[in-house]
Amino acid sequence: MALTGIQIFKMTPKKNCKECGSPTCMAFSMKVAQGAADISACPHMSEEALATLADATAPPMKTIKIGAGDAEYTLGGETVLYRHEKTFVSRPRYAVAICSCMDDATIDAKLEGLKKVDYERIGERMYVELIYVNYSAEDGQDKYLDIVKKAAATGRTLVLECTDEAVAKAALDICKDSKPVLNGATAANAEAMNAVATEAGVVLGVSGADLNEIYDTIAKLEGLGNKNLVVDVTGADVKTTFANAVQLRRAAIKDGDRTCGYPSIVKVAKLAKDDKYLQEALAALFTMKYGSIIVLQDMDYDQALPLYGLRQNVFTDPQKPMTVEPGIYPINGGDENSLCLTTVDFALTYFVVSGELERSGVPCNLLISDAGGMSVLTAWAAGKLSSGTIAKFIEEQVKDKVSCRKLVIPGKVAVLKGDLEAKLPDWEIIVAPNEATQLVKFMKEMA
Amino acid sequence: MAKFIVIGERIHCISPVIREAMEKRDPAPILQRAKEQLDAGATYIDVNIGPAENDGEDLMKWAVTTIQNEFDNVPLALDTANKAAIEAGISVYNRAKGKPIVNSADAGDRLSYIDLAAANDAIVIALCSAGSVPADVDERMAFCQQMLEHGMTLGMEAEDLWFDPLFLVAKGMQEQQKAIMESIRQFTEMGLNTTGGLSNVSNGMPKNMRPIMDSTMVAMCMAMGLTSAIVNPCDQRLMEAVKSADILLDNSLYADSYLEL
Amino acid sequence: MPFNQKPQKFSAKINTVTIGTGDKAISLGGESVLPFYTFDGDIENAPKVGVEITDNGIDDSLPGIKAFYDGCASVADMAKKASQMEGADFVVLTLVGGDPNGDNKSVEDLVAIVKEVVAAVDCPLVVKGCSNVEKDAALLPKVAEACQGTNALIMSAKEENYKAVGASVGLAYDLNMGAESAVDINLAKQLNVISTQLGVKADRIAMDVGTAAVGYGYEYVVSAMDRIRGAALSQDDATLQMPIITPVANDSWNVKEAVASEEDFPEWGPREERGIGMEIMTAASDLVSGSNAVILRHPQSVATIAKMVKELV
Repeated sequence: MALTGIQIFKMTPKKNCKECGSPTCMAFSMKVAQGAADISACPHMSEEALATLADATAPPMKTIKIGAGDAEYTLGGETVLYRHEKTFVSRPRYAVAICSCMDDATIDAKLEGLKKVDYERIGERMYVELIYVNYSAEDGQDKYLDIVKKAAATGRTLVLECTDEAVAKAALDICKDSKPVLNGATAANAEAMNAVATEAGVVLGVSGADLNEIYDTIAKLEGLGNKNLVVDVTGADVKTTFANAVQLRRAAIKDGDRTCGYPSIVKVAKLAKDDKYLQEALAALFTMKYGSIIVLQDMDYDQALPLYGLRQNVFTDPQKPMTVEPGIYPINGGDENSLCLTTVDFALTYFVVSGELERSGVPCNLLISDAGGMSVLTAWAAGKLSSGTIAKFIEEQVKDKVSCRKLVIPGKVAVLKGDLEAKLPDWEIIVAPNEATQLVKFMKEMA
Repeated sequence: MAKFIVIGERIHCISPVIREAMEKRDPAPILQRAKEQLDAGATYIDVNIGPAENDGEDLMKWAVTTIQNEFDNVPLALDTANKAAIEAGISVYNRAKGKPIVNSADAGDRLSYIDLAAANDAIVIALCSAGSVPADVDERMAFCQQMLEHGMTLGMEAEDLWFDPLFLVAKGMQEQQKAIMESIRQFTEMGLNTTGGLSNVSNGMPKNMRPIMDSTMVAMCMAMGLTSAIVNPCDQRLMEAVKSADILLDNSLYADSYLEL
Repeated sequence: MPFNQKPQKFSAKINTVTIGTGDKAISLGGESVLPFYTFDGDIENAPKVGVEITDNGIDDSLPGIKAFYDGCASVADMAKKASQMEGADFVVLTLVGGDPNGDNKSVEDLVAIVKEVVAAVDCPLVVKGCSNVEKDAALLPKVAEACQGTNALIMSAKEENYKAVGASVGLAYDLNMGAESAVDINLAKQLNVISTQLGVKADRIAMDVGTAAVGYGYEYVVSAMDRIRGAALSQDDATLQMPIITPVANDSWNVKEAVASEEDFPEWGPREERGIGMEIMTAASDLVSGSNAVILRHPQSVATIAKMVKELV
C-alpha cells in the first residue's frame, strides 16, 4: 500500500537539513509520496524506514515477461489510465483456447486454424501469440499432457489453466523452457502452486471468487516472495469481469496500491461461450480497458482484422505517429501503365486515401514518400513534402518502375504544381481535390 | 488539473455599503455583490464580516443562508477573526457545491483555525506567517511544514490545506516577489493547493494600472502552480488572464469562445 | 485484508437528453461515472443502439441485411422493420441522397420520405443530413418542420450551418439537435457554446464527435472521447456535458476490410462477417470511450451490442 506524505514524514529525521535538495523534511516526504523524489536522496533514513518505503516507491504496475526467444512478450508496466496522459506501453496479447475436454479432431483443427491468421499491418506482425490450454479433471492428466505437447509444438507461448498442482507440475515439465504462464493459484492452493511455478521459473496466474479473495491471494503470494504474477480477472459475468479489470488497474495506477499492479487475464471465451459476435465486442472492450491476455475461442480474419487494427491504434505512442513504408502501392490491380498519385507516409492519411482509391475501382499506383509521418499540410509546412522531395523520390524510386507519366498531387499542396512541372518536365502534374472523400468522383472522371 | 479557483473578495465589511447592510441585515446589497462576482466568474465567494465581536455568530449564519439560498448553495469562504462565528456559519452551511473554506489560519496565534477546519471537515487557508512578514522562501516553507503536519496529524487531507505565501505589495517590496513565486513553486511540487490575497501586489499603484499588475502576477503565479486566489472577479483583465492561463495549463479545454465562459 | 474499493464518483453529471415520445422514448446520458463503471455509481440510462437506413433504402449486397428487410417496399416499410429489430432502441434515417455530389435529391423529395417515416414508426427517430453543409442548411429546417411533435433528434449541425439548423431544430420546433464535429475536441466544445448562445437548450443537444473505424486512426477517437468525458466529469465543464451519439455504421462499412470482396481476398472469408466485426468492435470501443448511443446497420451488430450493453449495465 502506498504511504502518505505524513506517514513518510514520521520516518524522516525532521532535521530540515536540505541535504536531499528539498527545503524541509515535510516537502521531501510529500514528494516521495507522489513519486516525484526518491527516498534514497535522504542520507539520514534508518534501514528499517528504508525497507518500509521500498515497496511504496516501486513503480505502480509491474512489468511481467512471458514466453521465451522470439515468442517473449512484455505485459503490464503501465503508468497511466488513459493513453493521452502519456502512452500505453504493453499491448494486450490474444490467445485461442483449447481444452482437454475437447476431442482430438477439434483440438487439431483449432491449433491448425489459429495459424491461418498471420499478416503484417504497418510494420507489425499480426497473429495469435498465445494458446490457452484448459485442464479438465474428468479427462485426466494424460490427455492434458498430450494437448500441452501438441500446443507447445506450435511454438506459440502457452497459458496453462490448471489448479491441480501435480498435473501442473507435469505439464510444466514439458514446456517450462518456453516460459508459459501457469494460471492456477487460488486461495485454496496458493502455497503449493507458488512452489510449482517458482520451481519452474514461470509466471503464476491468480484467480479468486471476487476481488477481495484475489487481493488476499496476491498478498499471500507476495508474502511468499513471488511478484511474478498475472491476475485472472474473469468473474461470473461480463459486468463483474469489467469491474475487476478496471478497479484493479485503477487501484494500482491512481491509488498506488502495488498489490493490484499486475497484468490481467480476461477469458472472453468463457464469458460469451459459443457467441462469436459477443466475443468480438468483449475482445474490443477489454483491449480498451484493461486486459493484458485476452482469451478467445477462435481467431479468424473477420475477428482479427478489426481487433488487431484496434490494438495497433490504441497502443501507439501519441508522440510517434504511425507511418507506412515509402514505396509504390498498386491499387485495384494497378500496373506500370496506371495513373500515379502521391501523398505522405502518415498512416492515417495513407489509409484514408488508399481506401477511397479502392472504392473508386480505378487501377492506379499510390506513391508514398518519406514525409516524417506528418499529414499533408503539416509536412508541407515543415519542408518534408516539397517539390524537391517529391521530384527526388520520383527520380530515384519511381520513374524506372512505371511508364505512366501522369502524377496526381494532393489538393492541399496545389501550390507545388508549377515547381514540379519544372523539376519533372516529362510528367503531367494534376491536382487532386482537397478532401479524400472527393477522390472517388475524381478518379472516375480521370478514368 | 482542475480549473483555477477564483474566490471573490468583494463582500467585505471594509466597504461601507456592505458594513451597513450587515448591520441592518439588509440582503439586497450583499446579494447584488455576490451576483456581480458570480456572473464575472467567481467560484467561491468570500464573506468577510470583520471582527464581529458581539453578534458574529448570528451575523455569519444570516450571511451564509442568505447567500446560499439565493445562489444555489454557492460555496463560501468564511472570513472573520471570530472563530465561534465561523463555526456557527458552518453549522448552517450547505456543502452541495463544495466544502466551506475557513479564512484563515496562520502559523502563529491563528494555528487553531486548522483545528476548527479539521473538526468541521472544511478547507482552511493556511497563511505562511506567524504574524510578521516571512523573511524568505525558507521561512515560508518552515511555516508550511508546521501547519501541514498539524493538519495532517489531525486527520485532514493535505489537499484541504490551501497555502498562502503571503502576497506583498510590489511598490516597496519588489525584492519579495520572486520569493513568493518560488514558494508557490515549492508548495506545488509537494502537491499542495495554494491561494492568497493576490491583488495586494498592486496596492498603492494608480487605479488604472492595478489590473495590469494583477493580471500579470496571476499569470506568473499560475505558471508556478497557484491553484486559487482571493481577488476581485469583476476585474475583466484579471479574469481574462486567469481564463487564458487555464487554457495554457490545460486546466480547461480550448474553444474559440473560452473568454465568454 | 480486503481490496480497498475507492469509487470515483464525480459531482458533475452528463446531461439527460430525451428523444421520442411516449413509452418508447429514450434518454441518453444522466450518469456521473465513466462508461460502464457501475461499480462507482448507478448508470441511470444504459447506452442506446440505433438502426440506420437511408433514403435510398438499405445495402442489399449484404445477405443478412437483405434477408432482414425482405418484403419491404418503401423506406417507410424499412423504417418500421428496423424499429422492430432485436436490440434496437431508435431508428436513424440518413438523407444521403441529398448530397449535391451524389444523387442531389430535392429537399421536397427528401422531406416527403421523412414524413412517411415519421408516420410509419412509433419509436424515437433520429435524422441525419447528407453531409453537405449548404444543402443541410436548407434541408434540415424542413426536416425539423416535418418532425414537429415527435421529439426527434436532428443531427448534422456543424460549425458552418448550426445557425440555420439550431434556429429551426432547437428554437422553432423544440426538437433535439445533434452537434457534429469530426474528432476535434475544441470544435466540439465551441459548437456547444455557440449553439447554447444561439438559444438552443443545453439539454436538447447531443454531440456527434465523430469516430473512425478501428484500425483507421482510432487512437484519435479514444483520446478525444476520453478528454471530453474527463472535462465533463472531472473538470465539471458544463459546455461538454452533452451526451454523445456516434454514427458507427458508415465508417465501419466503408473501410477495406468491409469492402474488399472474397474473390480478391479469399483467406479473409465472407465480406459480411468482416463488416460485422468492424461494426461491433468500433461500436464497443466507442461505448467504452464515452458514447451514450451508437448508430449501426447490421441486425447482427445491433443484437450483439445491445446484448453487451445489457450485460454491462
